[in-house]
Amino acid sequence: MGTELFERRVVISGVGQSEIGRQVDRSGLQLTIDAVLAAVEDAGLTVDDIDGLAMFPGGGTANLPGYANGNLYEVQDALRVATTWRQGQVEGMSLPFYGPAQAVATGQARHAVIWRTVKEGSAARDAGGRPAYGSTKPVAEGPLAWLLPVGMLSPVCQIAPYATRYMHDHGVTREQLGWIPVTQRVHAARNPDAVYQAPLTMDEYLEARMISTPMCLYDCDVPVDGATAIVVSAVETVPDLRAPVRIEAMAGVVDGRPSWDQWEDFGRVGYGAAEAMWARTDLRPRDVDVAQLYDGFTIEAVWWLEAMGFCGPGEAGAFVEGGYRIALGGELPLNTWGGQLSGGRLHAAFGHTAEAVRQVRGEAGDRQVPGAEVAAVTNVGGFEAGASLLARW
Amino acid sequence: MMGARREHVDATVGIPPAVTDETEAFWTAAAEGRLVVERCTTCGAESFPPRGMCRSCRSRSTSPSEIIGRGVVYSFTVNHQRWLPDLEVPYAVVLVEFPDHPGVRVAGRLRGCAPDEVTVGMVVEVGFEPGPGGFSIPSFVAEERES
Repeated sequence: MGTELFERRVVISGVGQSEIGRQVDRSGLQLTIDAVLAAVEDAGLTVDDIDGLAMFPGGGTANLPGYANGNLYEVQDALRVATTWRQGQVEGMSLPFYGPAQAVATGQARHAVIWRTVKEGSAARDAGGRPAYGSTKPVAEGPLAWLLPVGMLSPVCQIAPYATRYMHDHGVTREQLGWIPVTQRVHAARNPDAVYQAPLTMDEYLEARMISTPMCLYDCDVPVDGATAIVVSAVETVPDLRAPVRIEAMAGVVDGRPSWDQWEDFGRVGYGAAEAMWARTDLRPRDVDVAQLYDGFTIEAVWWLEAMGFCGPGEAGAFVEGGYRIALGGELPLNTWGGQLSGGRLHAAFGHTAEAVRQVRGEAGDRQVPGAEVAAVTNVGGFEAGASLLARW
Repeated sequence: MMGARREHVDATVGIPPAVTDETEAFWTAAAEGRLVVERCTTCGAESFPPRGMCRSCRSRSTSPSEIIGRGVVYSFTVNHQRWLPDLEVPYAVVLVEFPDHPGVRVAGRLRGCAPDEVTVGMVVEVGFEPGPGGFSIPSFVAEERES
């Protein structure tokens, strides 16, 4: 690597999470503060050290009940911090720590904290047991104007046609997809914070009710309440930090049409980000010890396995078959916290990042991958894509 | 499939589109049963959805242009989940491309066959049906197959 990479001028210094559950009877603001305080303590810092704040999403523009919570002003006021950099990420969230890393690397802040708080579990309950998805707005705006009116009322309906096409083109079966939630549930049983820990069998997967073909209930992540916070710190502060984690490389590339209906081939949504990320490091896919790949839907994890080069194009179905490659003890343990499919939809790779940090620190408890030094973290929130490697300091 | 050709599923329960300066021509034409996209008056390329700018040459000079002819199903899903009270399910949603109109892909419902009969590559005709909020929404029609 000839030029200095900005991500090498920062570290991930802390991660913290609130209580996570299908329903947690605490406000979004309190969950947020719980997570932020936990992350700051985890970093070995105090709140007074924090000078950068960011939240995803900012402004609460998404029309999904429970998706957006709180308000950057309220959190800053509650924490009583002065900031030299702030960001409310409404769009363009390639990775949760991407914007904060840029800010810290360019000297706009020394210790920036970013959080994501969801109350989608409570929103589902408050909807009277009905699925909470749909819309909180009376009309469909922007790209959704072409989707919601024709009955593509949820992200699952919106991604499902691309799953159909991918499975058609590559001969991938539902049973192959099923190995992802079945295996990740085994991992979740070793994570006391996972919302679903009871075993899931392949028969249960195959017999589960269909949501929007080919995606059944267990292909979809689980709406929860909970907050995750991540602290990004300047590399010169490493002596002050408890357990910093290196950002080996990261990239966020959106090189297709940014909408659910127009993206040319969703099966390749992560290819640009992964290629740009690998160009920033001498490490190769075989050097990755553990993978936290975004799994809002099973099919997204499938696409990331291929985009990241862990297997070839169209080969991910065979790669996950039987579950042994992606299990703890396998060649590429996948979503060791249970992922969003069993750990809970903390969204936007916040949960994936927190787990990657734990794994490369050796702090992942019963699900620790022995000797893990390099973790892959990827994020696709729809047509966004971000790819990164986090590594032991 | 015996009994699969069920009565048409109502599509009026749902969320209507917000109409903008750029999309008004589409929804007005939809009410007349016509599918229009944006055609560049400079280079002739067609763009969809309408953004008031040609996606080929970036000209700001565009006008509505009707798509006539058959489309091909790029992909589909059959939605089984009742996302809203009174939403009738299941129904098929298709993403349709047009061999004579590169760069145009339109999402819509599918009529004329049972939901489980839709396939990738199926030929469909342009159509509309009553949707939410009094709007006409794209609703493609499966071409009759020779039996």
